Amino acid sequence: MYQYAWYTVLPFNVTFLPGEPVYEQVIYAVKKAILSGNLEPNARFPSVRSLSQELKISPNTAHKVVMALTVEGFLAVNPGIGTLVARPPAGSAGDRTALLNGDVERLVFEARQLGLGEDQVLAAVRRHWRKISFPS
Amino acid sequence: MNAIECEHLTRLFGRFPAVNDLNLTVPTGSIFALLGANGAGKTTTLKLILNLLHPTSGDVRVLGCGSTKMGKEAFLRIGYVAEDQVLHDWMTLDQMLDYYRPFYPRWDRDLERRLRTMFDLPPNRSLKKLSRGMRMKGAFLSILPFRPELLVLDEPFSGLDPQVRDEFIEGLLEIGDTDRPSTVVVSSHDITEVERLADWVGILAEGRLVTAEPMPALQGRFRRIEVVGPGAGTRIPREPGPAWRQVEAAAPNVVHFVHDRFAGEPTEREIQAAFPGTSVKASPMTLREIFLAHIRRAPPTGAH
Repeated sequence: MYQYAWYTVLPFNVTFLPGEPVYEQVIYAVKKAILSGNLEPNARFPSVRSLSQELKISPNTAHKVVMALTVEGFLAVNPGIGTLVARPPAGSAGDRTALLNGDVERLVFEARQLGLGEDQVLAAVRRHWRKISFPS
Repeated sequence: MNAIECEHLTRLFGRFPAVNDLNLTVPTGSIFALLGANGAGKTTTLKLILNLLHPTSGDVRVLGCGSTKMGKEAFLRIGYVAEDQVLHDWMTLDQMLDYYRPFYPRWDRDLERRLRTMFDLPPNRSLKKLSRGMRMKGAFLSILPFRPELLVLDEPFSGLDPQVRDEFIEGLLEIGDTDRPSTVVVSSHDITEVERLADWVGILAEGRLVTAEPMPALQGRFRRIEVVGPGAGTRIPREPGPAWRQVEAAAPNVVHFVHDRFAGEPTEREIQAAFPGTSVKASPMTLREIFLAHIRRAPPTGAH
């Protein structure tokens, strides 16, 4: 059901899930890349045209993505240079949390469907948290 | 600005209305997916738009021009690939392109070369000896290099392998440029194929337009709702909401339905109020699921 698609040409990865608006998914992927430091400030960001072609999305959608990220301060359009990654806007801890909202909601719903309690879910999260080591 | 405007468009075959009072607008620069079951009127609509068929009544304007008045000038701005596109079979690819090129003042040799590399077609074999996928690529190669302002594609993906589909999509995304956007109208059964590509969707059923709207708006207002009760006895209310479709009891404590006017938390609260003491989950739906939800519920309207 899920369609995984990884793009190495672009400086970020998008996993397209059917059913969710494409531009939201791309915006999410770019924000994740910027907030996690994979995309560094002043890095060159692809043009609307190459976004459209690489991701196989309409140019209108690609344009909307760049506009939205610019308005939110994640990208900066410099005439003559192109679009560059901006310094992540302040208050990014909140943004980082917001990026997980969908996943958390899904987890909570499924846990409740399985009849699990809050403590059991938190215990499971802690168990996995310790299992995975991550460079900070 | 709109690339296409159909007003009260009707086409009868005998007494049968293949297209029935259709009001359809395709904004300039959009990639518009026209979806419908077999016999819903997709091909007839596209042929009416291209003046390959005359309307029984109603009007179509294409690139600012009445469709029945379209002549050579208009067709130099429009590219069309039919589902079973007829090619000049006795020609080779080279001969075909040599033949087409002089018709189009805007023919872009550079783009032609790039597409030829990408499509990887044998230049000197006669077209009739090529596979179906290769022939469709040939058809694409004859319309993309003049960068049509309007591209009309009738079932371009059917029966093609995924790699060829990808190349098609890449090719059609090549032709637009910022100052002169191309409009693409694509009818398709392969709904997953157009889900990512299209930014507008129109759904036809029985010759009528059921809906036409931007893809994010359509995806935004449709949700699959799952109501889960703590124990048996989650009941469907006697009067389901007006925006609920396909309401069904999936288990003694579970009710499923499709909500077609979902607006976030306010809608969730409404549903919660209809099912006290339950948990409500709203999940996004794929375009395919949304399409099926539309054509299952019959009363289509001519308006949009």
